[in-house]
Amino acid sequence: MPEKDVILHVEDLKMHFPIKRGVIQRTVGYVHAVDGITFDIYRGETLGLVGESGCGKTTAGRTILQLYKPTAGQIVFEGKDLVKLKNEEMRQIRRKIQMIFQDPYASLNPRMTVEEIISEPLLVHNIENGKEIHDHVRSLLELVGLNPAYVDRYPHEFSGGQRQRIGVARSLALKPDLIVCDEPISALDVSIQAQVVNLLEDLQKEFGLTYLFIAHDLSMVRHISTRVIVMYLGVFVEMADRKTLYENPMHPYSIALLSAVPIPDPKVEEKRKRIILEGDVPSPINPPSGCRFRTRCPLAQAICAEERPEWKEVEPGHYVACHFWYNTKSLQRR
Amino acid sequence: MKKTDFVENTGVEVLAEDGCKKRPPKDNPWKNSRLIIGTIILGILIIIAFVGQLFWDKTLVNVGSSPLNLPPVGNEYRDQIGNWAHPLGTDNSGRDILALVLVGLPHSLGIGFVSATIGLTIGIIFGFSAGYLGGRVDDVIRLLSDTTMNIPALLILIIIQSLIPNAGFFAMALLLAVFAWQSPTRVLRAQVLSMKHADYVKLAQLSGSPDQEIMFKEMMPNLMPFLISQLTAGTSYSVLILVGVEVLGLGSQKIPSLGITLNNAINASAILRGMWWWWGIPTIILIVVFMCLLLITVGLDEVSNPRLRDH
Repeated sequence: MPEKDVILHVEDLKMHFPIKRGVIQRTVGYVHAVDGITFDIYRGETLGLVGESGCGKTTAGRTILQLYKPTAGQIVFEGKDLVKLKNEEMRQIRRKIQMIFQDPYASLNPRMTVEEIISEPLLVHNIENGKEIHDHVRSLLELVGLNPAYVDRYPHEFSGGQRQRIGVARSLALKPDLIVCDEPISALDVSIQAQVVNLLEDLQKEFGLTYLFIAHDLSMVRHISTRVIVMYLGVFVEMADRKTLYENPMHPYSIALLSAVPIPDPKVEEKRKRIILEGDVPSPINPPSGCRFRTRCPLAQAICAEERPEWKEVEPGHYVACHFWYNTKSLQRR
Repeated sequence: MKKTDFVENTGVEVLAEDGCKKRPPKDNPWKNSRLIIGTIILGILIIIAFVGQLFWDKTLVNVGSSPLNLPPVGNEYRDQIGNWAHPLGTDNSGRDILALVLVGLPHSLGIGFVSATIGLTIGIIFGFSAGYLGGRVDDVIRLLSDTTMNIPALLILIIIQSLIPNAGFFAMALLLAVFAWQSPTRVLRAQVLSMKHADYVKLAQLSGSPDQEIMFKEMMPNLMPFLISQLTAGTSYSVLILVGVEVLGLGSQKIPSLGITLNNAINASAILRGMWWWWGIPTIILIVVFMCLLLITVGLDEVSNPRLRDH
């Protein structure tokens, strides 16, 4: 990447949800959904965020957008810490950060027409008048590959892929800089997934958008991302640019995760080594001490239970959180 | 959904030949037989009452305006034969039953409807605040509605009515509304609570929509069937309590109503004397009204909850 212009900086972000029990709703514990993550997103890139279900990917995305009030940490966008902003200031910032949701069936209000859905952000921010909005909605529909004649239809008259296109059109309405894509394709058929991903890529080229692309589909993330972060149980375990991460992963979890991706070549598939992780993901209510991954890590030693591994830059732009990062080559498939 | 009309793979979809906005008619949930039957019968009753008031002499509700103890047309009671001057007969003080019904039915229904509307309005405000804002607001509203819900309305109203025996139309409606807001509050709170986590509500928040806009533009249209069914259920509940209070003889004696007529019939031993039309006609009308309100409520529940629909 030639010029690294940081669009969003996240510093030690934590999101703990209280668990309440009993008549007086006493707090008996916390779900450590996101437990101290630090990263930058550069303008114009696609940052992939992968991890298995329940690892806190979605919570991380939603916390960045202030849908949840974070427990601790900073989210710096355009020099402002979003956590500290007042409602009105936050409302202005919302024009520049938008989100695409996972489930296109739940994210569109069933009682609103396509025009009402797409024009809502425009009306809320009061930036265009009636005629302009009408034309803008039509051009947005065209942009995402839908017939503008559909403006008066309701969401239930569309298929999943078309609904997701409507969601994309809505998120583009305010001309945002950053779009958080929360598993935008995992609810769609495989044939439609590629279409939506290609649409997102085309729009990125056209408008210089920046994406935070949350997904669990490793091949899709490899296809779309500039850099990739691997997340496990509320923390980041590895971050690198796409090529490095997929060809030379260093964290045992990343290695195990990538070894599970099937390779469409029977000869390679036969020879390669797959790492089967034992056990389940521990509960985020009571995460393991030290390294979160130690309960399932083939390389775990005593130190892993005692000390939380440092988030270390082992190569330029390649971060790993593992005590034995230099020793993980043995696990790799080649 | 007409999936066949779209070509998904070309990227740019073509418009269906028959144009937009046509949906198969059988999918329309509002074509619910219970809802339709209930609405039609109740509508007919209300129209008869209002049109009847124009053509029938309303002063016949007064004591002594008609012959005493006259049976309905075609019946004989103690040497008196029913005639068309008083088609539904008269009571023992010379009040015309038809006039009583024509004046009494809209009166009872009206009080019930107004009190249910007041209750629903309070319910919308409280239910939305509790569900959407949560926290302390929710705690207070929930405590208030849960405790007052368990106080028997009839008991309290008997006490209040004995203190103010001649409460007028709106005073009565207000009194009944005190017991009509808890149910809508609870139902709406529960609905809002689950809808608050819907992605489209999150999406509206992300666009920076203010809270009141999210509540009334995003959520309210989705709750419309719930609101109407709460209104009919509330009307039915209020009318039931109203009639109960009146039958006990605690209603206002100034305006004739179905409950007061029943109370008079009981006091005059109409059942023992065989004057079936006196107590029977108001009872049948009340049963039909309650049945209609129930049918409408059940029908609306089916509209808003697809799982209740039978196919």
